Amino acid sequence: MLKCTFCGRRAAYNRRYAGVLLCDRCLIKSVEKRFRRAIAEHKLLSPGERVAVAVSGGKDSIAAMHLLVEHCGRKNCELVAITIDEGIKGYRDQSLPIARENAKSLGIEHYVVSFKRTFGATLDQMVRRANARKTELNPCTYCGVMRRSLLNQAARELGADKLATAHNLDDEVQAIMLNYVRADFSRLHRLGPSYPPREGFVPRIKPLREIPEKEVALYALLRGLEVHLAVCPYTGGIHTEIRDFLNRIEANHPNSKFMILRMFDRLKPQLARIVPEFEMRRCKNCGEPTSANICKSCELLKELGLRRLRKTLISPKSS
Amino acid sequence: MTCIKIVVKQVGKRHKRELRLAPHATIADLLRKLDQNRETIVVRRNGKIVVEEERLSDGDLIEILPIVTGG
Ligand code: SF4
Ligand SMILES: [Zn+2]
Ligand SMILES: [Zn+2]
Repeated sequence: MLKCTFCGRRAAYNRRYAGVLLCDRCLIKSVEKRFRRAIAEHKLLSPGERVAVAVSGGKDSIAAMHLLVEHCGRKNCELVAITIDEGIKGYRDQSLPIARENAKSLGIEHYVVSFKRTFGATLDQMVRRANARKTELNPCTYCGVMRRSLLNQAARELGADKLATAHNLDDEVQAIMLNYVRADFSRLHRLGPSYPPREGFVPRIKPLREIPEKEVALYALLRGLEVHLAVCPYTGGIHTEIRDFLNRIEANHPNSKFMILRMFDRLKPQLARIVPEFEMRRCKNCGEPTSANICKSCELLKELGLRRLRKTLISPKSS
Repeated sequence: MTCIKIVVKQVGKRHKRELRLAPHATIADLLRKLDQNRETIVVRRNGKIVVEEERLSDGDLIEILPIVTGG
């Protein structure tokens, strides 16, 4: 039996990048410490703020919600949860009840915003339309763009000061690499522990950004949290290739993911000089903030022959 | 040298598999054989989450739980 470096109990995790073994208790403590450190170091939350957390029901967002509820209790913050139901059969319909149950057990107000009610079509239906129209776009493009926009709007309507998402170290490093591969400076520039306030946007925070995906998963499992652990049917493409590539590198060269993150964080201030500032406008169609005349969501909807059906997302009924 | 026999269950897949491995083989050896990256899974040995450097024993039940879900 291999033992925890710190307390001698049975080890549950080999944190190879730090050269230590951790038992269940020490891993849970360590994750909680990193979460608190991220909040303090990057000033992600102030006492008394209202925080909206995006919860899909997966391990990351369930862990984030449990960590946040404890933090908010100590710091007098108010927490509400938002789930975007994209409409992915066999996936989101299974994770949604888990999100709901967790929120309920923690006594958190929970709001569900669905693609179907907002856009008149589920993601599954959008994908079928996209295929019929032979657009070259990946389901994750529709899903990501529209989910981000709805989350922001829902958080704003709920009067949130911050919108917390459960992006972990792996998610962030994958996004850095993806934007490198695509030479997308403006998206690259927007990555980081928080996203500064701008007109129409609720500032986003990522308190799990420096916690590896495996440690978030272990945290959820070792604490016995109820989480959804299935794979989205639309995963694939370049996202998956980048993820596999990074995991291969990390397995052979522990600490690589952290190195990529640190490198990016040091480069980020320099990026500001080459990324053009753009003026924020309001989408002519839905009123959401955008740099163009029409926001990306409305543009994608139009390509699919769809349009937005509801202007306001949060009604007393959606809770 | 006699081999050890273990049972592997990949969570999310139906079948359990019985595998023979060299004595003193570790979970990491098993993962290599199954082409599984430790970054993307959690391993339970006889119901307990363990580190990949643990040695396997004859009759062990190993569960491999994928943690990378996308989305
Ligand atoms: S994998 Fe793609 S389609 Fe599935 S939930 Fe994530 S972004 Fe959406
Ligand atoms: Zn310990
Ligand atoms: Zn719009």
